[in-house]
Amino acid sequence: MPPRKRIFRPRVCRFCTEKDLTIDYKDAKTLKYLVTERGKIIPRRISGTCAKHQRQVTEAIKRSRHLALLPYTGQTQF
Amino acid sequence: MRRYETTYILRPNLGESLFTEIIERTNDIIKNDGGAIINLERWGSKKLAYEIKKETLGYYIYFDYAAPGTTIHEMERIFRIDDRVLRFLTVKLEDAIDQDTIEKETELAAATSAAESEADVTEAAEENIKDEK
Repeated sequence: MPPRKRIFRPRVCRFCTEKDLTIDYKDAKTLKYLVTERGKIIPRRISGTCAKHQRQVTEAIKRSRHLALLPYTGQTQF
Repeated sequence: MRRYETTYILRPNLGESLFTEIIERTNDIIKNDGGAIINLERWGSKKLAYEIKKETLGYYIYFDYAAPGTTIHEMERIFRIDDRVLRFLTVKLEDAIDQDTIEKETELAAATSAAESEADVTEAAEENIKDEK
């Protein structure tokens, strides 16, 4: 079997390296990068976020979904 | 007294006077129970990520305040009855807050909101320039 192609993924947590980046449910612009096009939360193994911050991220995403700042399912119409 | 923040969404077609009336009424609930408003921001009409009660736009209001827990129950009960309110979300920020901190934070919020509105103006101006290019 040929070796699987490695996809680049950041090794370190974005929120640990950039101290001024805050996780806030009101800030949909930042959270947009942590969900897929379909609106799913990107898992930790892909995004590289650490456990502590991933917990905060999921909480924030769920809150902003409730406030209709982020979609529950992607914007694409089927 | 605890510190909370609440964001709520109103139907967009109510008009400015009704928005103000609802905001005043909500603020009065908090003030009458001995609470204090620290900061109030009107985010204005925003597009909703999905339809809520057949509305695609919503008028967002965010406010930060100190109040006893029972006030929250009362406020949310009224929000639930009022069908002009599409959504609301209350988050607890601090378990205890004293008078000094309330005053300090109120001043700070007023200062930052003034600075922000200025920044918004310059930002908008910059964006206009970009658009023209």
